Amino acid sequence: MEHKIDLTELTLSLASLMSVTGHTRHSKDKLIELVSPYFDEIRETRLGNYHLIRRCGKENAKRILVDAHFDEIGMIVTEIKEGGFLTVTSIGGLDTRILQASEVIIYGEGRDIYGVVGSTPPHLQKPGEANKLREITALLIDTGYSKEELEKYVSIGTPIGFKPIYTKLRNNRIAGKGFDDKACAAAAIAAVAEIPADELWGDVYLQLSNYEEAGGFMSGAATGAYEVNPVCAIVADVDLATTPDTKKSETVPLDGGVSLSTGPITDKRLTSLLRKLADEKEIKHQMSVTAGGTGTNTMVINLVRNGIPTVDIGLPLRSMHTSNEVISMNDAAAMRDIIALFVTSSEIEKEVCPNE
Amino acid sequence: MSETKILEGIELLRHLSLVFGPTGSEEEVADEIIKQLENTDAQIIRDRMSNVFAVLHGKNRPEKTVMLSAHMDEVGFIIKDIDGEGYVRFGCLGGIDPRVLCGRKVTFRGKDGDVSGVIASKAIHHQSAEERKNATKANDMYVDIGATSKEDAESVLSRGDSGTFDSEFVIFGENDGYAKCKALDDRLGCVVMIETLRKIKEENIDLPFDLICAFTVREEIGISGATAAAHRFRPDYAIVLETTAIADLPDVPKNSRVSEVGNGGVVSLMDRSTIYNRDFVDGAMKIAEENGIPAQIKRYVSGGNDAGHIHKTADGTRTLAISAPTRYLHSASCVVSLKDFESIKSHVYAILTSYQF
Repeated sequence: MEHKIDLTELTLSLASLMSVTGHTRHSKDKLIELVSPYFDEIRETRLGNYHLIRRCGKENAKRILVDAHFDEIGMIVTEIKEGGFLTVTSIGGLDTRILQASEVIIYGEGRDIYGVVGSTPPHLQKPGEANKLREITALLIDTGYSKEELEKYVSIGTPIGFKPIYTKLRNNRIAGKGFDDKACAAAAIAAVAEIPADELWGDVYLQLSNYEEAGGFMSGAATGAYEVNPVCAIVADVDLATTPDTKKSETVPLDGGVSLSTGPITDKRLTSLLRKLADEKEIKHQMSVTAGGTGTNTMVINLVRNGIPTVDIGLPLRSMHTSNEVISMNDAAAMRDIIALFVTSSEIEKEVCPNE
Repeated sequence: MSETKILEGIELLRHLSLVFGPTGSEEEVADEIIKQLENTDAQIIRDRMSNVFAVLHGKNRPEKTVMLSAHMDEVGFIIKDIDGEGYVRFGCLGGIDPRVLCGRKVTFRGKDGDVSGVIASKAIHHQSAEERKNATKANDMYVDIGATSKEDAESVLSRGDSGTFDSEFVIFGENDGYAKCKALDDRLGCVVMIETLRKIKEENIDLPFDLICAFTVREEIGISGATAAAHRFRPDYAIVLETTAIADLPDVPKNSRVSEVGNGGVVSLMDRSTIYNRDFVDGAMKIAEENGIPAQIKRYVSGGNDAGHIHKTADGTRTLAISAPTRYLHSASCVVSLKDFESIKSHVYAILTSYQF
C-alpha cells in the first residue's frame, strides 16, 4: 500500500518536540501544525490531553479511543547558581546514567538555552567514587551564562529536555530522544490519517495523553477516556526490547513486530481477535506477556466509567528513558497497520458491540 | 584533487575537532593539519607513527631549539568483540569516566566507512535497586549499531576497528563565549600551533632559534609519540600546549577548582608527571602580565601530559605547559572559553618573540 505520510519523518518531527510532563502546552502550536491536516477537530482537555478527532460520518457514531501518551521524561530547574549553573530534578523515571556530559535544552521564557550536564572531574573524586552513580541532584547544568542574564529567562520550574539529535542506524533503526511515546503517537496519527472516513466503523478519538510518565498515576489518560466515553480502546506505548542482559521472557525483540499484550487486565477476546486479523493481513506481530499491570495507560483506561474493553499494543524499544532510545521503523509500520485494522474492522466492531 | 580550504580561528577549531582521530589512528588528523600548514614557511616531516613536525629554521646559525607540542589523538574506543547478536563490545582508548559513556552516540571507522551507534547497557527497568546505585563498567556496556545479527555487524565492522564520540561543535552561552565539542583535547593545542606558524610568517619574524611544532600521536594512553619527537629534535626548551580539567563549579572550594574557565591559559607548576622549570614558568607569567594577556597558575596538582615524557628524554628539556581550562574533559562534551583560546595564542606568540631562551 502506498503511504502518503512518511512515518519516519513524522516520528522524528513529533519526537523532537518538547513535551516534558506538565509542560506539554509548550509545543502545542507546532503539534497542531503537524496534525491538523488529518483531523476534523482538535480539542485540549483540562488536564492537558489532546483529542484529535476523525469522524466516520455515521449517525450516532460509536467512539473508539486510540491512546498514545504525548508527555516525555525530562527535568526541571531547582536552583540557579553563580556562574550560570543550574541544579535540577527529574520528571519521570529518567535513566540518570546517561546524564553526565549530555546536551540539553532549557526551555526558558522566550528563549531556548543550550546546556551541558557536568559534574566534578575525576581528580577531585575520592577513590571508589568513580564507581558510584551521582544522584541527579548532585549534577549541574552549564549554560555559559552569568547568573544575572540567565535569570531573565530561567526560573525554578523551567523545564529541560534532551537536545533532539537523531541517528540512523542499520536496518531501518533510529536512535534519539522522545520515542517513548511519540513514536507510537506518530504510528497512530499515520494510521488514522490515511483511512477514508467511510471505512471507519466509529468516530476515532486519538488521545495524546498527558501525565503518563509522572504525576498522579496516568491521570491524563483516565480523565481523557472519561470525557471521550468510548466503546473500546487501543493503547499504544513502547515495550522493553530484548538486549544482551535481559531475559527473553520479559522482553520483545526489535523487528519482531508490534507486540500485543496478553495478561489479566486487557480484553482477552478483543486481543485474540486482533491477533487473528493481523495474521490474515500479514501484519508482523508478537506476544508480550504480563502477569500484572501493563505499565501503560491501559491500567487506568480499562477501569474508566463502567469499564472499557482495552487492547494494549507495544513498540519494542531499547534503552528506554535515555536520550538515545532505539526503535525499528519496521515495527512502527506494523503498529500503524494494526491500529488501522482496529478502527476499520467490522469484526472488531461486532466483538465490541455485539447487540447492534 | 580538491582545493584545500584554509580555515582560521574558530572555523579551524571546529574543522579539526570533528576529524576522526582516536589514539593510534591519527592519520586523518595528520593529513588535515599538513593541508592547513600549506601557507606557512615550515618544512614538514611526517614519521611512520604519523607524528607531524613543522620545522622553522632560525636565522643565521642558531644554537638553540624550541619545541611546541600538542597531540592529535582524542580519547576513543576500540572494538574487542562482536557478539552473537551483532552488539559491539569495546575498550576505551585513554581514560574515560564510565559515567559519561552510557547513552552516547559514537562513530566507528569500518573498512568501508563510518558506522554510527549508541552505547547502551541494561535498561533501568531491569535493574535492582542496588544495581542502580553503581555506575556500569565500560566492559559491561555495548554499542548498538542496529545490526540484526553477528554477520550483519561483521559486514561493516571488525575487531580492532576504532571509534570516537560523535559530537557536534556547538557555540553557546551568553555572548556565544563557549565552545563544546569532542576532541578539544587536544585539537585546540594543534590549532594554536598552526596559527602561531601563520602569524610568524605574517609578521615576518625571524626567530633566533629553530622552532619545531610537533603534532604528536598516542598521548592519551601515555605511550606517547612525543617521546620520539623529543628524541629526534633534542629541544632545549619545550612548551606543551594542552587542555586541563577544571572544576570551577559552584560549591567546589577555591583551592580545588584547579583554575577558572575564562581567566586565560593555565600554566602548571607541577602535575603528576612533571615539576616544571621554575624560571621558564616565572618568565612566561611575567610576559603575560607585561602584555596584558590573561594567564593563570594551575592551583591543583593533578593530571599529566606529554611534558612528562619530553622533559626527561635524552639529556632533558626545560619544559612549560600552557593548557586551555576545560570542563568535562574526556567526554563527548568538552567545554572551553573562546576567550581563553585567544589568550593562549597571544601568550605563546609573546613568549616565542620575547623570552630569553
